[in-house]
Amino acid sequence: MTTLLHLIYEFFKMGVFSVGGGYATVPFLYQLVNDYNWYTSDQLTNMMAISMITPGPVGANMATFAGFQTFGVLGGIIATFSLVLPSFILVIFVSKLLKKFNENFWIKSTLYSLKPAGCGLLTAVGLGFIKEHITNLPAIMLFIFLLALSFKFKKNPLYYFLIASVVGILLQICHVKFI
Amino acid sequence: MKISLKDLYWEFFLLGVQLLGGGYVIVPLMQKNLIEKRNWITQEELTDFYALSQTIPGIIAANISTFVGYKLRGKTGAFLALTGIITSPIISILLIASIIDFLLKISYIQSIFWGVGIAVIILIFLTIKEMWNYSVYDIATWIIFLATCLLSLFLKVSPVLLIIGSIIFGITVKYIEKRCKK
Repeated sequence: MTTLLHLIYEFFKMGVFSVGGGYATVPFLYQLVNDYNWYTSDQLTNMMAISMITPGPVGANMATFAGFQTFGVLGGIIATFSLVLPSFILVIFVSKLLKKFNENFWIKSTLYSLKPAGCGLLTAVGLGFIKEHITNLPAIMLFIFLLALSFKFKKNPLYYFLIASVVGILLQICHVKFI
Repeated sequence: MKISLKDLYWEFFLLGVQLLGGGYVIVPLMQKNLIEKRNWITQEELTDFYALSQTIPGIIAANISTFVGYKLRGKTGAFLALTGIITSPIISILLIASIIDFLLKISYIQSIFWGVGIAVIILIFLTIKEMWNYSVYDIATWIIFLATCLLSLFLKVSPVLLIIGSIIFGITVKYIEKRCKK
C-alpha cells in the first residue's frame, strides 16, 4: 500500500515540476532510479527507446511502465493518471484566463528560468547515462559513430535505432564481448 | 451544434494512436484532424493552446488535449479528451511491459537494446541542442544551465529543488532588470 502511495506521490510531483514537454520528465525518472527500486537505469533507457517508437509521450509511457513494474496493470493506469492530474487541474484553471496568462510578468520570468534549467537537468542525465552505459570499447566506438552521424542526419529516432541494432547484432555474430 | 462526448473521446483516442515520436507531432495532427476534418477549433486557438501548454507543467500533448476538450465540452470534455489521448499509449506500454522481460532473455534482443540504449543517449543530446537556442542565451540563463547541470550531476540535488531555485533566481534577475529600466 505504501508503495502505491509513493507511486502516486512521485508521479504527481513529476506532473507538477516537469515543464517544457518532451524530455522534461526524464530528469525525474532518472532520479527515481536512485530513490526506489521500480526500474533500473538500463530499463529506463530501454523504455525510452520503446517510447520513441510507440504512441505517446515518454513521460506518460514511463509512468505506465513504472506503475506496471510495481503494481501491475492497475499500477500502470494509476501512475499515468497521477502524472497528468496536476496539469489537468491547471489547464482548466488557465482556460478561464487564456491569453493574459502568457503575458504575465511572473509567468514570463518563470518560463525564462525554466528553459535553461530543463536544459541543464537533461544534460546532467545525458552525462550520467554516458558514465553508466558507455563503459567498454565497442560502446565508445558506437557512441562516437552515432555522434558523427548526428551532425549529418536529422533527428529521426528510427534511423539511429536501426543502425545501433545492426551494430549490436553484428557484434554478437562476430563474438565480440560487449554487454 | 453540440459535439457528442462519444465523438470527442474517439477523436482524441485516434490522435493518441498516431502520437509517435514524442509530443511535438500533436500540433500537425490536430491541424489535420480537429481543424480540417472536424472544424472543432480554429488555427488561432490551436496556436494559443500550444503556447499555453508549453507554459503549464506536464506533458504537452496531454495539456493541449485538455485545453481543446475544455473548450468543446467543459470539464467533462477536458477529462474525456485527456483520457482519450492517453488510452492507446497506456495500452501499448502495458502490453510491451508484460512481455519485455521475456524478450530480453533472447540474446539478440539484448544486443539490439544494447545498441539502442546508446542511440537514446545521442537523441537526448540532440534534444538539448534543439532546446539550446531559445533556452540559454544570456548570462543569467547560462548561470542557471551550469548550476542545474553541475549540482544535479555531482551533488545529486533533486530536480524539484533545482527547479524551484532556478525560478527564484530567474524572477529576481527579471525583476531587477525591470526596475533598472524604469
